[in-house]
Amino acid sequence: MDYTMEDTQNSAPDAVGESKLNSSAPRNDTQSVTKRLQAELMQLMLSPSPGISAFPDADGNLLSWTATITGPTETPYEGLTMKLSFAFPNNYPYSPPTVLFKTPIYHPNVDFSGRICLDILKDKWSAVYNVQSVLLSLQSLLGEPNNASPLNAQAAELWDSNQEEFKRHVLARHRDLDDE
Amino acid sequence: MSTSLANVPLNAGRRRVFNSVFSPASLQARSPFSPSENENLNASFQSTGSSSTVRNDSFAVIHPDGVADSDRDWDRAWTAATAFLAVPDLGFAPVYEGKDTDGSDAIQAFGRLSPPSRETADALTYLVSAAPQAADESKNLISWYGDEIRRHFLLNLRGGLHQLLKHPEQAGLLRDMVKCLQLARRIYLTPVIHELMPRLRASTQGVVLTQLQRTFHAVVSYSLPWSQISTLLAGELAQSAIVILGIDTLLEDSSSDEDSENDMQIDRHYSVSYDDWRQQSPEDQAHMMLDSEGSHVTIARDQLLAFMNGLEVVGLGGDKAQKVFASVMNIMMTEFVRAAYTDRWEAPTSALAHLRHWVDNVFCRLVVQVLATIHTPTTDNRVPSTADVSSGDIEKWQEISVARLGALRTSELFDVIVEWPASAGAIEDLRQFITHPAARAYVTQSFIASLNQRLLHPGASTVEILQLYISIIRGFHILDPKGVLLDRIARPIRRYLRERDDTVKVIVSGLLAEAPVTAATEATLPSSTDTLIELSTELARAHKLSLEHKDSELDWDDANWMPDPVDAAPDYRKSKSADVIDSLVSLFDSKETFVKELQTLLADRLLQKREHYDQEVSVLELLKVRFGDSALQACEVMLRDIYDSRRVDGVLHAKILSRFFWPEIQDQEFKIPDEIQSIQDRYSAGFEAIKQSRKLTWRNGLGQVTVELELEDRSFLEEVTTWQATVIHAFQSSDESTTKTVEDLTEELEMAAPLVRSACLFWVSKRILAEIKRDCFRVLETLPSEDEQHVAGPGSAEDENSVDDAANAAAAAEAAAAAAAKETAEAAAMEKMNLYWQFIVGMLTNQGAMPLQRIVMMLKIVVPGGFPFSNEELREFLAGMVTRGKLEIVSGGSYKLVH
Repeated sequence: MDYTMEDTQNSAPDAVGESKLNSSAPRNDTQSVTKRLQAELMQLMLSPSPGISAFPDADGNLLSWTATITGPTETPYEGLTMKLSFAFPNNYPYSPPTVLFKTPIYHPNVDFSGRICLDILKDKWSAVYNVQSVLLSLQSLLGEPNNASPLNAQAAELWDSNQEEFKRHVLARHRDLDDE
Repeated sequence: MSTSLANVPLNAGRRRVFNSVFSPASLQARSPFSPSENENLNASFQSTGSSSTVRNDSFAVIHPDGVADSDRDWDRAWTAATAFLAVPDLGFAPVYEGKDTDGSDAIQAFGRLSPPSRETADALTYLVSAAPQAADESKNLISWYGDEIRRHFLLNLRGGLHQLLKHPEQAGLLRDMVKCLQLARRIYLTPVIHELMPRLRASTQGVVLTQLQRTFHAVVSYSLPWSQISTLLAGELAQSAIVILGIDTLLEDSSSDEDSENDMQIDRHYSVSYDDWRQQSPEDQAHMMLDSEGSHVTIARDQLLAFMNGLEVVGLGGDKAQKVFASVMNIMMTEFVRAAYTDRWEAPTSALAHLRHWVDNVFCRLVVQVLATIHTPTTDNRVPSTADVSSGDIEKWQEISVARLGALRTSELFDVIVEWPASAGAIEDLRQFITHPAARAYVTQSFIASLNQRLLHPGASTVEILQLYISIIRGFHILDPKGVLLDRIARPIRRYLRERDDTVKVIVSGLLAEAPVTAATEATLPSSTDTLIELSTELARAHKLSLEHKDSELDWDDANWMPDPVDAAPDYRKSKSADVIDSLVSLFDSKETFVKELQTLLADRLLQKREHYDQEVSVLELLKVRFGDSALQACEVMLRDIYDSRRVDGVLHAKILSRFFWPEIQDQEFKIPDEIQSIQDRYSAGFEAIKQSRKLTWRNGLGQVTVELELEDRSFLEEVTTWQATVIHAFQSSDESTTKTVEDLTEELEMAAPLVRSACLFWVSKRILAEIKRDCFRVLETLPSEDEQHVAGPGSAEDENSVDDAANAAAAAEAAAAAAAKETAEAAAMEKMNLYWQFIVGMLTNQGAMPLQRIVMMLKIVVPGGFPFSNEELREFLAGMVTRGKLEIVSGGSYKLVH
């Protein structure tokens, strides 16, 4: 017997009906989003991938996370740590999360406000992707930028022409977001 | 009577006089009364237009002829008559002193009996009857006498009575006052009756007497403050009513059961006691309270009625007194119910019948008698005996009394439940009471309140709460077979039980507990304090019941189907039988919690070395009926493992456990002796040959070994744990009388130090080893003789007092074992902590440094199933990580990852 539902059952019928009509669908969604994100977090914790990490923000509703990517070796980003913000929509995973670089980064597919051009975060999004797969994609993007559709044309050009200069730009732009 | 008076034309005038005389202002002004002021009084009467002088005027007007003669005659007659009738101002004392006599002395003292002189008699006759308007004339003299009564009362008696009222604590005060007033009344009325009445016409006699009585009543009730009188009256009534209604004997009975045995024997023929009544046959019961009442009751009754009569006579009765009487009787009803039925919970109950009988025969009798005495004046002309109390009233009283009994039982309900099933009678009583929703709500509310206060607090053990819950389930099932009340009551208990960590454990261990073998042992051990043995009996019993009638909610052929009661909660679910087990098991959201605990407990019990596991098997079978086979599959496998293992018993009694189905078992790792190791290897090889797909992992820490030790002067045979055996084995292999330190052993056996120490201390307690110095042990090949012990003296402490020493060592061994167990438990906890460590790392990596509070908060949010550790435990854990160099503490006490 589940008594936890007692209160809702005992409240006035109108109230219940109203809440059912108006807010039950989004609320249930929020619940399922939370559940999904919790599961993703658990998976991240139990089988961590090297170089990536993510955790919910302290606001407690699990819909915004902060992630960390360590620059892959043998790329201009080697040894650098990049922070990203994840904002999950209410209908996640049916819509992609909004992902931004918080750490200033010099990269062909990232603009100066941290917006990312990555197909799986836009039209190629699918519900089978998750935080981990997004982070892994971004990690590989660091080493293999998609210069066909650059957000930062200069970076795209430099990447192809002058790797040394590119790396100098990367280091110049990079600034560790230390713990505020 | 009032109607007849209203016809008298001068009645209104007389009232005006009354008002003017007794208007508070005029009385205060005139308080120091004295006879000399009589004239003043008359003067004031004059001003109101209806006084003696006015009377003279009117006389003159009516008889214009022969004025002088009749005037003189009249004046003379008036003087003589008033002088005769005037009440001497003797003060209050003679009245007070005369109250306990027959009163004749006092009346004599006031000169009320001396016959009038001839002249006066003539004057009286003249005044009363000579005049043509006899009614007027007599009234005039009568109303003068009324004034005289007022004057005398206020002057002489009022002060005295007030003086008496200043000591309300004095016993029988009101009775004394009433006696005084009665006497005063006689003093006032005696001459009227003796002298005036015979001279009046018969038709006016009654009118005159009532008139004077009214005057007297008015002045009495004016003089005595009713608030005080009513308090006194209530006390007086209560005192008598307690005796008459039999409440006093009840109280005596319950307070001194043994020593008043003799008195009770005497009184036995009249008793309202419930216990006595129950023992009688039905015929006797019917007569019991009707027939001869006890002499003291009769006396009390007569006294009360006489007193009430006096009260009525002096004008203190009437509806005001009735109100007081009603409130007293109301209290008495409660008192009686309380005195008669408190703690009388035996079944079968007849309390209700007894109570109805009492109301009918004792309560009503008193009410009728008293009301007949103090009937209101307006009901004068009615027949007083039956009209005051109708059968409807009696029915109402019956109802009230039932409600009172219900209230009593409700207040006792908690204790009733505690005493269950010895208190079934009380539940029966209550059942009669909860016939309407308000009463049901009252019962549940007050019971929940007492539950919260008395049971659902940290001081009560879970076993106690569960025990009581079982009683509640049974008791309320009788009280309300529909189960609505139980449903309501159970909610707070269930909510509370769910919060307790050990609830599952207690329930499961109760289920697995050995059922009492015979009824005799059950009687001697009705409820064990630490396990709910009752549960296992209940399990067997309930199973039989469930076989008898299979009922489901969807039984379409149920001709006796009833809708849910109106006051049932929305999610109320009818439970047709008082199924205790089901109620307890359904405490938890899923069976899983329950089954998991069952597994753990079952594992413990199965791993003990025992001949048979019948109890476990039967319990499991019974539970399977309840939960279905699939839920208990794991337990099933566990049992089969044990039986299978037995079949392959050899030198080694191994118990092969299917790891997947068994709960996690904490183990202590250590190296077992080589001999055993080789046997184990052989066993494993054999097993793996038979069962291809299965592999054996040995749990060395669990198990028992029969150890046989041959020492120089004695041998030793006992069953010990494996690690204890391993430690003593280490001593065997070494040379005689070598000493080994705990450190050596730890290294040699790869065993945890606390465990080694515990094992050594165990052997010290068995007097096999001796601790030479701390953590250094030696085999005690020969027991030191008594002499040696004394010689050895304080130098070798462990030999000094062998018995004490052994006991101490045993205790120490136990403590050490506990410490070792704790250590492994802590290790397990740490393992769990590792998962949380991942979370903490993720958190600190992404969110930066955080203080402890924040970490705990986040963990509580993000970890599925919540974070089970306290702030302190986490702080300790994090401190460990700091020392390991994985964390650092930065400004503000925040933890930061070290990269």
